[in-house]
Amino acid sequence: MESLILFSLVLVLLFIGLPVGICLGLSSILFITFFSHDSLSSVAISLFGAGQHYTLLAIPFFILASAYMSTGGVAKRLINFAIASVGHFRGGLAMASVLACMMFAALSGSSPATVVAIGTIAIAGMRQVGYSKEFAAGIIANAGTLGILIPPSIVMVVYAASVDVSVGRMFLAGVIPGLMAGGMLMLAIYVVARIKNLPSEEWKGFGHLVRGGKDAGWGLFLVVIIMGGIYGGVFTPTEAAVVAAVYSIFIALFIYRDMGPLQGKTWTNETDADHARIGFNGTVYGVSFFLVWEIMSFFVFADSDTVTGGDRAIWGLIMSVLIALFYVHKRASHLEQSMVSCLVAGMPIWGRNLSLMTRSFFPALFGEESRKVMLDGTKTTIMLMFIIANALLFAHTLSAERIPQMITEWMLGVGFNWFTFLIAVNILLLIGGQFMEPSGLLVIVAPVVFPIAMELGVDPIHLGIIMVVNMEIGMITPPIGLNLFVTSGITGMSLAKVVKAAMPFVLVLMVFLVLVTYIPALSTALPYSIMGPEIVQ
Amino acid sequence: MAYWPHLYLLFFILVLWLLEKRFPKVMERAEESLLIIVISSIMAVSFGQVIARYGFNTGWDAALEFNTVAFSWLILLGMSYGIKTGLHLGVDIVLNAVPARITKALSLFGAAAAMLYGLILLDSTWLAMLGVDVRGGAIEYWSKMFKIGIGSEELRYPEFVQELFGLRPRVHRWLVLVILPISLAMLSYRSLQAFIDIARNKRDMLISGHEAQDLVEENKNALKD
Repeated sequence: MESLILFSLVLVLLFIGLPVGICLGLSSILFITFFSHDSLSSVAISLFGAGQHYTLLAIPFFILASAYMSTGGVAKRLINFAIASVGHFRGGLAMASVLACMMFAALSGSSPATVVAIGTIAIAGMRQVGYSKEFAAGIIANAGTLGILIPPSIVMVVYAASVDVSVGRMFLAGVIPGLMAGGMLMLAIYVVARIKNLPSEEWKGFGHLVRGGKDAGWGLFLVVIIMGGIYGGVFTPTEAAVVAAVYSIFIALFIYRDMGPLQGKTWTNETDADHARIGFNGTVYGVSFFLVWEIMSFFVFADSDTVTGGDRAIWGLIMSVLIALFYVHKRASHLEQSMVSCLVAGMPIWGRNLSLMTRSFFPALFGEESRKVMLDGTKTTIMLMFIIANALLFAHTLSAERIPQMITEWMLGVGFNWFTFLIAVNILLLIGGQFMEPSGLLVIVAPVVFPIAMELGVDPIHLGIIMVVNMEIGMITPPIGLNLFVTSGITGMSLAKVVKAAMPFVLVLMVFLVLVTYIPALSTALPYSIMGPEIVQ
Repeated sequence: MAYWPHLYLLFFILVLWLLEKRFPKVMERAEESLLIIVISSIMAVSFGQVIARYGFNTGWDAALEFNTVAFSWLILLGMSYGIKTGLHLGVDIVLNAVPARITKALSLFGAAAAMLYGLILLDSTWLAMLGVDVRGGAIEYWSKMFKIGIGSEELRYPEFVQELFGLRPRVHRWLVLVILPISLAMLSYRSLQAFIDIARNKRDMLISGHEAQDLVEENKNALKD
């Protein structure tokens, strides 16, 4: 009875337009005030306590990393790379958009950011070669939802924090389903493209693909840092997030130069001599390989006693020099210049770039543009964390009133088994996902369904992935689907039109949900073979 | 229970009000900068810690506590900022469906509820005076910490501060927690401001309908024919 009052209070306050956080928090406070004898001091201190969850501290940094990675240029590079790899199939541009969304999802944990960054470029491109606007918008709206399934994902961090499972396993568990969802969307596109006879791009050769990959590589290496760092056992997820954020800042400001004082300054100029550029490129490959080698080998050998840092550096150095020499040798062969003169001529370009970077180091870090990106990231963090903090408060109130236990007993009493239970969870989340922000909903629902799931023998990691996929679908189903709003906003189409355009592909995701729900191995195989099973006390 | 913390808080809000009236631009930028500084300092400390640990096998014992405390500060400082800038998420489906008059009334109710949230958590004594069986709140907890004067687990004052004021090395817990009453007072104050702005038709809503509202606004109709 009392718990009914609590739930209806939340729903009423939610629908008359209170901020979600205030609505959850105020309901809990009023409930404690009128129905229990707890002191409000403990409630106030648990509001402070939200920040004490070390795992949640990963969230602001994943947000910051994606904020820096969302600056226009990265999306463009990913799309170019995607077109170079799958553009030549029928319906290739649409498939490339899905692939670009998948890659972007791996860099950012946010769906709307994916839709805006990839969508603004890809939809325009698709229309130019003759796709209908509806088709293009529907694809982007759906593919954008992969943002929360492909790691790193903020929603997964929230789930892991609220039921106390490992973030690393959750991230790994998202890999196969993420690839699968993307694959299924692409397959659906291919079928549609065959029927509708949609155009394909011409195959521009492997050189194009490699060049696209090189360009996108700096961004995509972020994934390697995050995943490698966590699975190499080197970083905690929070540390991985911080390193990812620092890496993104560095890449955006100094390597890609899409923003800040270096914007528009290219690494090599037209005026540089050919042989100087070849020498410079060769050394760049050498240095890049060395850095990549150092980081990767560090992840692999960090705990090893036999391989020291010195060993790694020497091996890396030898290989880097070989790579640089090979490149210069290959490219310089048709020029008159010797390899040495190429390398020497490349040095002034290095000098110019390094001095440029040193001089604008602090202006870039503390400049107005950086400040804006930082502020945007901070705002998103605040918005999410305020909801999560209050949802924690609410979840705390629920468990103090033993409500999860009551629901568990009731559900077991009426004879739910794992099969029917998962249907119930899916329906609950699909409905809830309509109205609530995914992380807030997870914080509330997870503690309630988690004990039941454990009782019924559902795997904790598998449950997490089911929840994330549900949140995904919630983003593209009316009335309140975030991606629908965003797509409708950037395309200027009406919401109803976007809904209709997205619907065929939502069906694909629905099929995907059923697969994920009833084939646990899809989620659990990868993390458990690498990290061993999750054990819940 | 003494009432001096309440007076200090009131004084703080008054000063803030005067400053914001006098230098609105500067104060806005200062508030944003404060948030950015907090998040940057967490990033700097964490990254420095990673480098120190893996590069030099050393580290700062209090790094973890510093980061989590700074994170709490960020969330608490942010909640009033979120009210001020209309950042917080809410469901706007009803607000958009009903006539403007009712939207306004509901928004006013929302602002009042946010203020209620802040005021109850700040100190529930006023509710108790109304005859509700309740006690405690942020101020009460903070006063207790202030009276006991225990230190935090790892955080220490810098040496020169210790010598200057003759303090014990560990940072007082009340100093760490002081943000709690301050931020709740700020939240109430911002909600009051929002209430007045909505009443005067200077502002439509307390909430934003979805998390990407700014993002969409920036790219609005980027692809319209």
